[in-house]
Amino acid sequence: MSGIEAFSPKGMLHQGWSAQVDDYAIVCGWAQEGQTFLVGDVAGGLYAYEGKSGKLVWQTKCIHKGGLLAMSIHPDGNAFATAGQDGHVFFWESKECKSTKSLYLGKGWVEHIKWSPNGKFLAVVFKKHVYVFDDKGQEHWRSEEHPSTVSAIVWSNSNELATACYGQVTFFDVVKDKVNQKLEWRGSLVSMALSPDGDIVACGSQDNSVHFWRRSSDQDSEMTGYPGKPSHLAFDQTGTVLATGGSDRVTVWSFQGDGPEGTIPGELMLHTEPISCLAFSNTGMLLASGARDGSVFSWFIQKDGQGDPVGGAFAGDLVSQIAWRPDDGALAAINANGGITVWEFRVRTKAAPKGFG
Amino acid sequence: MSNKQKVPVTILTGFLGSGKTTLLNKILSEEHGKKIAVIENEYGEVGIDQGLVINADEEVFEMSNGCICCTVRGDLIRVLGNLMKRRDKFDYVLVETTGLADPGPVAQTFFMDDEIRDEFSLDGIVTLVDAAHIEQQLGRSDESSEQVAFADVLILNKTDLVTDEALDNLEARLRDMNRMARVIRSNQANVSIDTVLNLSAFDLDQVLKHRPSFLEPEYPFEWTGVYSLEKGLYEITLDEGPDPTMSLALLLDQGKDETSLSMSAESCLRLYAEKEKLINPGEIVPVGKHVSLQLQSSGTKSFLIDLARASDIGLFTQHTAEEFNLKIIKLKASTSEKENIDQNLSILTPIAERIWVAEHEHDDEVGSFAIEREGDVDPEKLNRWLSRLLSEKGVDIFRTKGFISYSGEARRIVFQGVHMLFTAQPDKEWGNEPRRNQLVFIGRNLDEAEMRKGFDKCLV
Repeated sequence: MSGIEAFSPKGMLHQGWSAQVDDYAIVCGWAQEGQTFLVGDVAGGLYAYEGKSGKLVWQTKCIHKGGLLAMSIHPDGNAFATAGQDGHVFFWESKECKSTKSLYLGKGWVEHIKWSPNGKFLAVVFKKHVYVFDDKGQEHWRSEEHPSTVSAIVWSNSNELATACYGQVTFFDVVKDKVNQKLEWRGSLVSMALSPDGDIVACGSQDNSVHFWRRSSDQDSEMTGYPGKPSHLAFDQTGTVLATGGSDRVTVWSFQGDGPEGTIPGELMLHTEPISCLAFSNTGMLLASGARDGSVFSWFIQKDGQGDPVGGAFAGDLVSQIAWRPDDGALAAINANGGITVWEFRVRTKAAPKGFG
Repeated sequence: MSNKQKVPVTILTGFLGSGKTTLLNKILSEEHGKKIAVIENEYGEVGIDQGLVINADEEVFEMSNGCICCTVRGDLIRVLGNLMKRRDKFDYVLVETTGLADPGPVAQTFFMDDEIRDEFSLDGIVTLVDAAHIEQQLGRSDESSEQVAFADVLILNKTDLVTDEALDNLEARLRDMNRMARVIRSNQANVSIDTVLNLSAFDLDQVLKHRPSFLEPEYPFEWTGVYSLEKGLYEITLDEGPDPTMSLALLLDQGKDETSLSMSAESCLRLYAEKEKLINPGEIVPVGKHVSLQLQSSGTKSFLIDLARASDIGLFTQHTAEEFNLKIIKLKASTSEKENIDQNLSILTPIAERIWVAEHEHDDEVGSFAIEREGDVDPEKLNRWLSRLLSEKGVDIFRTKGFISYSGEARRIVFQGVHMLFTAQPDKEWGNEPRRNQLVFIGRNLDEAEMRKGFDKCLV
């Protein structure tokens, strides 16, 4: 491990539970209102743990031949879907190891799937097309062919889906089957985040920049100067700030006033290797970040983008995903070595959550 | 993490029908104990279970700045990004491209993308050439000449379909275009797996082992023979060869060790810069002059060497002795006894021979040349010159490789470039080796004279 020593949880992160899966843990999420924690590994292993204790509830192996690539938990928390290199999408029940539906898209990878906010639709990316299935697995809608492989999808509301690929972001109304808006820019878009009100579109680009559009005014701008490509982006729940990776520091842009154009972003510096995941808490301005060095930090972010660390822990290896429990009372991290760590998140003292306790 | 072993990647290019699929199948089915992942283009048809085969559309992504060097293959970033999560499950990655693919973006992907650069290392570029059709293809498309230019290994495939002579000509043409590549001939892509995997082509010492001459300067002569001669009259005989003339220079007191050969080569280079003197059969070859032997008549032609004293002579000839069946025959003790020259024939064998990297007429737009200079360079000057050269001409400079001697640096600097991207890293210490600079450039319409001048200005 370069430049970072293993250390016990600090600040507001407290020892919770840990577990180990067989291969590189690639996806995770909280289901059933935090009662269950789901983890998928690249070899297609799927594991459900009791959220509180970490006790293994059920597991299954090799569900996607070639490897598992994506997971999306249904908004009601009782079901979820997985996708993989075998071109399949499976529907599952959270509480037991039971697959309820299997869809086959064709020979090729299914890299992105996402449930709509109301849980009526599952959007599935297959190469240059996006499909929308209903919760019964019936195909409801299919996009036109995109100019290149679709690299990211986000639902802007329950009927409108945004897709990103080389050179464009497109907003589709999947109920009325029409293109609502197309935002073009000559660049390879590798990640996408939407502000909760759906007005701001942010995309990380291969050329080490973040591109913004404001849908209402058609304004766009570009934030450059990242040493790496910003593959990870996260808006807070109010849409005030956007946290971005692309280096070993978290760069936080504030959309207050006329920002972020012409403003200096907040820079959160504690990780020693590039950021590998970012997640805002479900309420409030708490950001969790994980890095390739295995470090995890939580930060209290101000509206101007500046932030202070409120907790830190070491997850052992490259942190592949990080997830706040729905009540924000715990933070889970999974790593490249198959390690799972869940920390309780609470104030150590009665003082305000600022700085190490 | 940074201290992990990077997974080596070989890029396999070549036109449709050059035998890529045959080669891939052969590699995958061979017992080599390696786990190989293959990223195949959309038209690929490898149907073997031994390896992990992933199909990918070739998606070439240009950046908003319009810089061709920033152009990458988006599909590779995506696929490799996922593959690296299964690192323990394979030892090697092979990327197959279509015949229409520009190798630039493929190679650049391994330099440009931070995550790919951390996990994978570009091991080498292998280009399959259909010996029967490449001549046509080279004339028709830029992609095929670029694929030749980018190659670390050129596999001349389907050699059974063409004559040996045509193959020799083809090989010479390909060498002109890319002097650093190793050329291998094969029939049905039946090459050893080691020629495709673990090339360490970006490791210059490996390259030198396979192609010891790639960093050597080019000379206008291909061959040197050193003969130990007594005082007397000698005949040089030549049979019919590939050209109606052959130029040469004759030097006296030629040493046979490498240093004296190299020193003479340098002085011959200056002689060759002067206009050649035409010598007809039967005439005497003057010493220390650039001459051109007139070989138009049919049959064996002979020319004379008249030595007033015993000497080890050096013959620096435009083509190899073998090509013209060149022989030196002792005639008489001296010119004064001109009778019976047909008697007392004795054919002499050289006491030393040396093959040089020959300079050729460059017919193709795509070509390569080497700069070799002794001494040190000023790192700042070199950096300034190269940055400027690559930013202005980077589009046309495909590959750059070489060693540099920085003044004040005990280690030699290894230099690698793909278009405008370059790295210069310290390597092993020079030790007792003479400090020198050797750089090879491969590209389109390169201004060799200008580039040589530019480099010379960086010397301390």
